[in-house]
Amino acid sequence: MTDVRTTKVRSSLATQLARPGGRTIADAQRLAETGLQSHKAGVMEDLGRLIGQLEALCAAPDDGRRDRVYVLAAALVDMAGFFDTGPLYSAGYSLCDLSDRMQAGGVWSWPAVEVHVKALRLILAGGCKAGAESDVLLQGLRSVQAAFAPAA
Amino acid sequence: MAASSNTRVNLEHSTVLLIDDNPRSLDMLSSIFQGFGVKEQIKCESAVEAAELVKRRAVDLILVDCSMPEMDGYDFTRWLRRETPTPTRHIPVIMLTGHAAQSNIHKSRDCGASFVVAKPLTPTVLLRRIIWLGGDERQFVECESYVGPDRRVRNFGPPLGQPGRRAGDLSTHVGEPAEANMDQSDIDMLMKPMRVAL
Repeated sequence: MTDVRTTKVRSSLATQLARPGGRTIADAQRLAETGLQSHKAGVMEDLGRLIGQLEALCAAPDDGRRDRVYVLAAALVDMAGFFDTGPLYSAGYSLCDLSDRMQAGGVWSWPAVEVHVKALRLILAGGCKAGAESDVLLQGLRSVQAAFAPAA
Repeated sequence: MAASSNTRVNLEHSTVLLIDDNPRSLDMLSSIFQGFGVKEQIKCESAVEAAELVKRRAVDLILVDCSMPEMDGYDFTRWLRRETPTPTRHIPVIMLTGHAAQSNIHKSRDCGASFVVAKPLTPTVLLRRIIWLGGDERQFVECESYVGPDRRVRNFGPPLGQPGRRAGDLSTHVGEPAEANMDQSDIDMLMKPMRVAL
């Protein structure tokens, strides 16, 4: 049996949080949200650039650069995940899943990637709004995903 | 700690270390923590740089992105938990993840992070997790295969303000009493049982 040691720890964070003063949770959340929103325009531009890089990969498919698809999609999800980007986040996440699975499984389909990238561009152009149109797009991406799902 | 929106939270004297290779993400995290009232923030664009920093100065909380080149968030946390002396190894670590690749699922579970927060991220969720960490009563476990806060949090219930997701989680609603209140003599008997002559 391995040797296990357990210790009771009180972190300095716990001590700091228990000090009197500070701000109310409501104020802290409101101020943080305001600060975060000040970055939104820049982030949306960055998302557009990332989709552009994915489009460039699809326009000249190079099997030596497959891993770039996951890297770019993961970067997109990372950035989109700071805001309510609903369907854009879901489509980006789907591309991460798909490219991760295809790489791991040793099968690769550029058309499956391309359909995701086109959906991302459409959703971004539509202001990342959830609705009937984005539902249809996401449903389509789920069908693409299903074609590469691991056997149960 | 019952956290209503009027509850005060004091992070003014805390030092927070933010680690993310994306400068834009770092700026956004910084804005969030500024809103929380944190005055001292240290921003690092690489985990290697952050590792050098924690060797020479104390911080109260670390936020690290999981995916970074060279040294990722998982490896950084694993290094912190295993290779640094106390109290550095006990610093609460919140790991931020966007998409977790299949190959990283086990790394995420075993690296020793205090909390893994999946995006989409909102300031509300992040603050809730920080407050939870402030009252974290989990033991710190050290063994060959794992170093970090005890991962078995089932008995602590769901995070504050969250409905439970497990079948066994108790409802936060306190219902009507099932039977009459005990009288004082019954309570005394529970606290201090005495021999009685029948």
